[in-house]
Amino acid sequence: MITVENITKSYGSGAGENRVLKGISTTIGDGEYAVILGASGSGKSTFLNVVSGLEKADSGSVKYDGTDITELSDKQLTKFRRENIGFIFQQYYLLPNMTVEKNVRMGADLAGSKDWKEIINAVGLGDKLRSYPSELSGGEQQRVSVARALAKKPKILFLDEPTGALDEATGRQVLDYIGKLHDQLGFTVIMITHNQNIADMADTVIRMNSGTVTEVYHNAERKTAYEIGW
Amino acid sequence: MVTVKDTLKLFGISIVICCAAFVCTLFINYRIDLAAIAGTVQGDQAQKLYDAQLSTSTVVCAVAGGCLILTSVVMLLTYIRNFIDSRSKELGIMKALGWSDMGIAKHFGIFGMSVLAGAIIGISAAAAYMPKFYELQNKTDYFSVPREMHYGAFALLALIPTAVFAALAVLFAYRSLRKPVMKLLREDPGSKVRNGKNDEALCFTKELRKDTVRSKRSLMFFVWFSAFCFSCNTQMSFSMTNLASETMGYMILVIGLIIAYMMLILALSAVVRGNAKTAAMMRIFGYEDGEISRSILNGYRPVALFGFILGTGYQFGLLKIMVGVVFKDIDTTPEYDFDFKALCIALPVFIVSYELVMLFFGSRIKKLPVKSVMLDN
Repeated sequence: MITVENITKSYGSGAGENRVLKGISTTIGDGEYAVILGASGSGKSTFLNVVSGLEKADSGSVKYDGTDITELSDKQLTKFRRENIGFIFQQYYLLPNMTVEKNVRMGADLAGSKDWKEIINAVGLGDKLRSYPSELSGGEQQRVSVARALAKKPKILFLDEPTGALDEATGRQVLDYIGKLHDQLGFTVIMITHNQNIADMADTVIRMNSGTVTEVYHNAERKTAYEIGW
Repeated sequence: MVTVKDTLKLFGISIVICCAAFVCTLFINYRIDLAAIAGTVQGDQAQKLYDAQLSTSTVVCAVAGGCLILTSVVMLLTYIRNFIDSRSKELGIMKALGWSDMGIAKHFGIFGMSVLAGAIIGISAAAAYMPKFYELQNKTDYFSVPREMHYGAFALLALIPTAVFAALAVLFAYRSLRKPVMKLLREDPGSKVRNGKNDEALCFTKELRKDTVRSKRSLMFFVWFSAFCFSCNTQMSFSMTNLASETMGYMILVIGLIIAYMMLILALSAVVRGNAKTAAMMRIFGYEDGEISRSILNGYRPVALFGFILGTGYQFGLLKIMVGVVFKDIDTTPEYDFDFKALCIALPVFIVSYELVMLFFGSRIKKLPVKSVMLDN
């Protein structure tokens, strides 16, 4: 269970201070598929960074099963991320000089897992093991990024606009892989997006606007990537 | 496009040229003055010593000056290549708007200014040191070399390298820019597929270590050359103190250390800069600081050690040859054997100082902000 309590975060100071998060509180259950929905500038990316431990909040707490990560040292936070968290970014951030296999092993080696080839197969890239990122399409690169994140066996997967740089068909394909793997492996998903339709894939939708949570609702039934609009 | 600020980043070349200008100014000035007293040297021993002094001046100018200038050329060409790679989109847009290759390339001529700055500082330092240098060189009973300042030679020493380096910068930039516009626009320095396939058996961190060294061969060369210069110059300085003079020994030591540390620092700065995203990504995934810095920097340790070993062999061979050439006509040719004492001092100093530099850059990697990877789209 992730419990976020009264988080605030500002950038700059004095007259130039920009209050990005203004006291956000919410909870996300284990194995839940949560979507943080909001327009550009709503503070959703900062929220994701704070909840995942990439950035420190100015105040408030983020508790994972009772452990407040805002009180952890950098070293403890690194260990926490190593053991619990996977990331998928809009821009993929694959290592350009490494093959698909080595990029996925970046995550797999951390968890000491040996089944990286199975995970690459699961995202449909079994025939691209020796390819470099520059030899792949955008959708294929994002699938490598999905495999890399999942290869470290995360308990929570954070996704920052994972389909933002993809066309509709490829975006659906990537979301479909993520949805299927979530159902199979049972990890918690926290995805940020500005696309209202993607929210229909989630168990819980947290809508943000100007640094505050304006609405939280639960979908009675989750749609698949091919059932949602775009 | 190419600004004075960019030229300032070439301070490494300025320092190397400064060292080259310092050595060459001293010895060229001395050689000219030495040549002027050729007819006045009397006696067999005096003539042999005179010939030895003449040969020494020529060899020092050619070897020290030549090596330093060659180093500067490699540094300049590497910098220009990296400059063009990192701004390929900007340069592609300029070409698309109608700029010619030469029209863009001629702006790179400003890089000659870094050479001019280094040369002026080196020549000025040499001119200031000249009286002391002559005093030390004249510590012989056979002849005395009167000191004259050959300002014409000084001017040529500053202007010729400046012009040559400026021309070289323009021509190299011109050659590098001769690509189709679309290739420049699409080129992403980070997306090039490197030579050599990844080794399946290696784990990620070992593969990264191998790849970091392999993907930037110029940086590998700089680290290697840095260790080579350290080894060669420190050990040679001990021998030169015995074979020539203490001044010569100190000169070689100081020049060697400046080049060695400067090149190492420049190379490792570039390594850390070039791997900032990788380090940030590894930290995001939960790799520890030690694992990250080891993956990025450890590959350069064997490269440096190899440079040290080669430098040791090179200085021994070079001094053997130089002793043979310079003292060939002199009855009392000095004994020269491998100096184990110099090696015993140089090696531990090398290991400790290089580890300290590695430690410093390891701490720089630790301080790289994780968030930079998310902001730099």
